[in-house]
Amino acid sequence: MIRTAAVAAIALFLQGAANAQMSHHHASEAACDTTELRCATKVTPAFAPDGTLWLAWMAGGRISVARSRDHGKTFSTPVAVFDQPLKLDWGPDARPSMIVDRQNRIAIAFSIFRDKNFNGEVLYTHSVDEGRSFNKPAPITPGTESQRFVQLALDGDGSVFAAWIDKRNRVRASADNQSYNGAALFFAWSKDGGGTYSETRLVKDNTCECCRIAVAFAGSGRPAVLFRNIFPGSVRDHAIVTFGDPTAPGEIHRVSHDGWKTDACPHQGPSLAISPKGTYHAVWFTSGEARRGLFHARSTDGGQTFSEPMAIGRPDRNASRPYVLANGSGATIVWKEFDGEKTTVKLIRSGDDGKSWSQPRDIAATTDASDHPLLVGNGSEVFLSWMTKADGYHITQIKDAP
Amino acid sequence: MRRLSLVAFVLVCAFLPQGLAAQDPLRAFQRGSWQAILNAHAGRPMMVNFWGVTCGPCKVELPLLGKFVTDNPGVDVVTVNADLVPNAREAALSMLRKAGLSSTENWTFSDGFVERLRYEIDPAWQGDIPRTMLIARDGKITTIEGIVELSKVREWFASQAIETSPESTLQTHD
Repeated sequence: MIRTAAVAAIALFLQGAANAQMSHHHASEAACDTTELRCATKVTPAFAPDGTLWLAWMAGGRISVARSRDHGKTFSTPVAVFDQPLKLDWGPDARPSMIVDRQNRIAIAFSIFRDKNFNGEVLYTHSVDEGRSFNKPAPITPGTESQRFVQLALDGDGSVFAAWIDKRNRVRASADNQSYNGAALFFAWSKDGGGTYSETRLVKDNTCECCRIAVAFAGSGRPAVLFRNIFPGSVRDHAIVTFGDPTAPGEIHRVSHDGWKTDACPHQGPSLAISPKGTYHAVWFTSGEARRGLFHARSTDGGQTFSEPMAIGRPDRNASRPYVLANGSGATIVWKEFDGEKTTVKLIRSGDDGKSWSQPRDIAATTDASDHPLLVGNGSEVFLSWMTKADGYHITQIKDAP
Repeated sequence: MRRLSLVAFVLVCAFLPQGLAAQDPLRAFQRGSWQAILNAHAGRPMMVNFWGVTCGPCKVELPLLGKFVTDNPGVDVVTVNADLVPNAREAALSMLRKAGLSSTENWTFSDGFVERLRYEIDPAWQGDIPRTMLIARDGKITTIEGIVELSKVREWFASQAIETSPESTLQTHD
């Protein structure tokens, strides 16, 4: 009798432990807890100028890096950029940003949570031995206030542009008993492949504090940054700035009048691409009075004015996370939709620089949690990069012409 | 008798988690939970507030909601922690406690596939919080993005002609 009771108790305990394990992974966005690619929640791709595909991913509290010389069929042994676990910023729009230059120097920047109040800190690291080792991550700026959503971009001359969202001016305003909406957009440059960064400078105050930003180059030394701005009346619509030269942010232009008046955090930032002809392509999400859902607009005057927004996807299918890429083969937009059971990545392409677009088609799907769909280009080729919990990592070439 | 006792013990152990779950101050919101909430409150006007520990406006709104619940003990109020950054259970409970919402019907998203949870609630919802849904006696849903104006919520509950027992009468003062 006692033995029966003991067996029953052990069976119940084991069942409980198994349920807890299943429940843990059920509740998590990750498939597993270790640092391998299959456990990643966020994966960032980048092609090096020599055609090597590099990935940086968040898994098991680390950021790991690996490369593929066969377009993602096989990867090198991953290398963690830091040998200790980090309290990585796991907000929906947070992810490591990475560029690889002509000398195969790898620059990476990411944010961690520096305290229990989810204030962020942007750290950077780099590798000069083709990813075999990385410098100890260091703050990109000496500020102690919250910094998040860093974005790196490689200029044609080899310089690395870094922009991020920073709350230092909000803290100062608060100390002076002044009100301050959101955060601010700051930037710095690296002239040594991401080994060191210049002094931090302000682009604009009062930007959304919880959305990713997007960077593309209008020319050498002339980055353009698309961001969710806070216009008067707490309207969180998108704005863009194009630098006149590396130290001079240009005039701020409004991309659209969506009229999203909200004091909530959208957690959904835009994406930007500039085509070889110089056409700006902006995609974003809004829940404004004028329009709701995903939209694309283009600018042919250097980001000063934009076309009437074109709706993308089905709002009743939770269309989200749009991403745009423009290269020699045309312009491509991907986004996610959810039908109640599965998430599908949809795609449209344009062969005339965004004047007209193809019908949406499905290019990938999964039935559990997934990262944002991203596009990565290699000359004239375009690839979908997408991490999924159930099916692992996808890198899929988009082969057909627009 | 001893055998019966053992069987009873094993049965109690087997069903204990479900029994405890019903008393959980922060219930697991999973697939089907939204419909379960709607069913449990069917026929009664209800306010559902979606919030999160990392949401700045929620820190302002939640104590106001706590006062509303204290002032209006007869109304159906439900909170759902739907933070886009996974919250530690103790952090969520602490924030509810400080806001005076410990005794409210509180839920927390407990499925990594959050798109599916949100879709069941509102297919167009992208996850921004705070967000409040007012669900009328007839099931009609009014959605409010951002911090809710509780004076309007009071008016809405009044318009729902809730039973007017002394305990459930809506307060009209602030």
